[in-house]
Amino acid sequence: MTSVLPFIRRTGQSRRRPQWWLAACVGIAAVWGWSLPYAPGWVLAGSGCTALLVLTVLAYFARMEAEVAHPIPDGTPARDDPHHALNHIDEILGIPQGLEAVPQVDELLESLVAENQRRRLEEVLRHWVDVAQRYSGAATDLRKRVEAVIQQTEHATDNIASSFQAVINKATLQARQAMELLEGTQGANSDGTPVSLKDFIRVSDVRLNKMADEVVRVADLSMNMVRELDGVQKRTQAIDGFLADVEKLADQTSLLALNADIEAARVGEHGRGFAVVASEVRRLSQRSHEFSERIRQHLKEVRAGLSRTYGDMRTLSAADMAHAVQIREDVIQLTRSLEGKNREVADTVSQINALSKEIALDVQNVVVSLQFHDITSQELTRTLMPMEELRRTLYHVMQETLHLDRDLCKSFTGPAGGDPDAKKDPADPGTVPGYAVPAMSEKTPADANLSVELF
Amino acid sequence: MATIMTVDDTASMRQMISFTLNSAGYDVVQAGDGVEALALARQSTLDLVITDINMPNMDGIALVKMLRALPDYRFTPILMLTTESQDSKRQAGKNAGATGWIVKPFNPDQLIHIVRKVLD
Repeated sequence: MTSVLPFIRRTGQSRRRPQWWLAACVGIAAVWGWSLPYAPGWVLAGSGCTALLVLTVLAYFARMEAEVAHPIPDGTPARDDPHHALNHIDEILGIPQGLEAVPQVDELLESLVAENQRRRLEEVLRHWVDVAQRYSGAATDLRKRVEAVIQQTEHATDNIASSFQAVINKATLQARQAMELLEGTQGANSDGTPVSLKDFIRVSDVRLNKMADEVVRVADLSMNMVRELDGVQKRTQAIDGFLADVEKLADQTSLLALNADIEAARVGEHGRGFAVVASEVRRLSQRSHEFSERIRQHLKEVRAGLSRTYGDMRTLSAADMAHAVQIREDVIQLTRSLEGKNREVADTVSQINALSKEIALDVQNVVVSLQFHDITSQELTRTLMPMEELRRTLYHVMQETLHLDRDLCKSFTGPAGGDPDAKKDPADPGTVPGYAVPAMSEKTPADANLSVELF
Repeated sequence: MATIMTVDDTASMRQMISFTLNSAGYDVVQAGDGVEALALARQSTLDLVITDINMPNMDGIALVKMLRALPDYRFTPILMLTTESQDSKRQAGKNAGATGWIVKPFNPDQLIHIVRKVLD
């Protein structure tokens, strides 16, 4: 019991004094109730009286202490100070009305609970508005970033597409020119003139072969001519023999004319005529001899000429043959080499054709891939739509929250006995302080360009 | 050779369509949205229109309706080339008067094949 006095002094300076005072009462009653079955009746009666006495003293001291520590203030307490309501209870408890003041305490406790609830609700609402505001900011930021990314990728894709188109055009031109160049070596004109390498090889091969054949034929003819010349030479030798016979015949005729002349001289006058005939025969024989000599001379010259021609013909035929064979060999070599080159050209042409097909396939792939910018940007814009919708909804909800809060304040001002105007910001009578016009700050200049228009 | 108009708000898409059709020997004119496309269609003769759906100012479906209202384009083939693949959108395109529907991304060979088919 004695320990109660310092406790009261302490609680006199504390705001929790009424609770402790009640607790003391309840504690004493509990001790008394607990000892009821064990103590005799007079002890119980005595202790009950003592307890009542102690409680009375306790209440008295409590009132005295309260009057000293907290004089009743003038005017209405500021409603937004949470400690004021509790002080108010202290004051009421401090009024010397004794235990009759308890119903008023209950009323105040109820209002305190309501105040706490209102405060918590306000706290939750503030938190809610704060979250909404932060979401709105994040959503706006995200949308701007996504749009920047879309713009950047669009720019890059446009550049890639332009460059790709230029590259393909140049590659096509290059391939066409290369093909024209190579196909020129493979084709031919309809009139048969060689316009391609292949054709040139074919025509030159045919003509050179023909020429070589001609040369061989000329050589053969030369050999024939040499053989013919041989025959001619033999025949001239035969003529020589004949000429010798003719000369022998002329000599015998001359001798016979001489004999006739001798016989005519012996006969005398009767043989004079015969002598004239004999001298004419001798003269004819001499002329025959002269002719034979001249023929022999000509024949000699002919044989010498034939001999020279024979030598030339032999040299000519032998030389032509060797040269023709050499040319033929060279032509065959050249043709083979050209044919090799031509095969290489044909291979290159087919390689270029294969490469062109591969390039065409690659081009298709690039054309398909370059469309993905458009697809992804549309997808991204579509993905942003629900977020924008949510942001708009949040704005409405926040506005409703502000109205609700104002109504709440109004409804609480009555029972709580506080001053509703004390909570209002004089600069902005439409909103509650701390809520600070969150949604209105959302409309940025960038919003004007968006496909999703916000208000 | 036939003249084809491609309508898309994405420049790279227009470039790819032009590139593909040019390589097949067609003349291609480009428009960035429905309004531009309609103006182009009024001042020139087109044999085929290939249009996107989602575009600013005037979308593809509205463009098809406007083109079909013009006497010159009552029977001109109009192909929709879009990322949309829902049946409801397809039906809307068909009701507006579109000739065909191609979902992006298009394959160049496939596009040329379809273009030849509708132009014949």
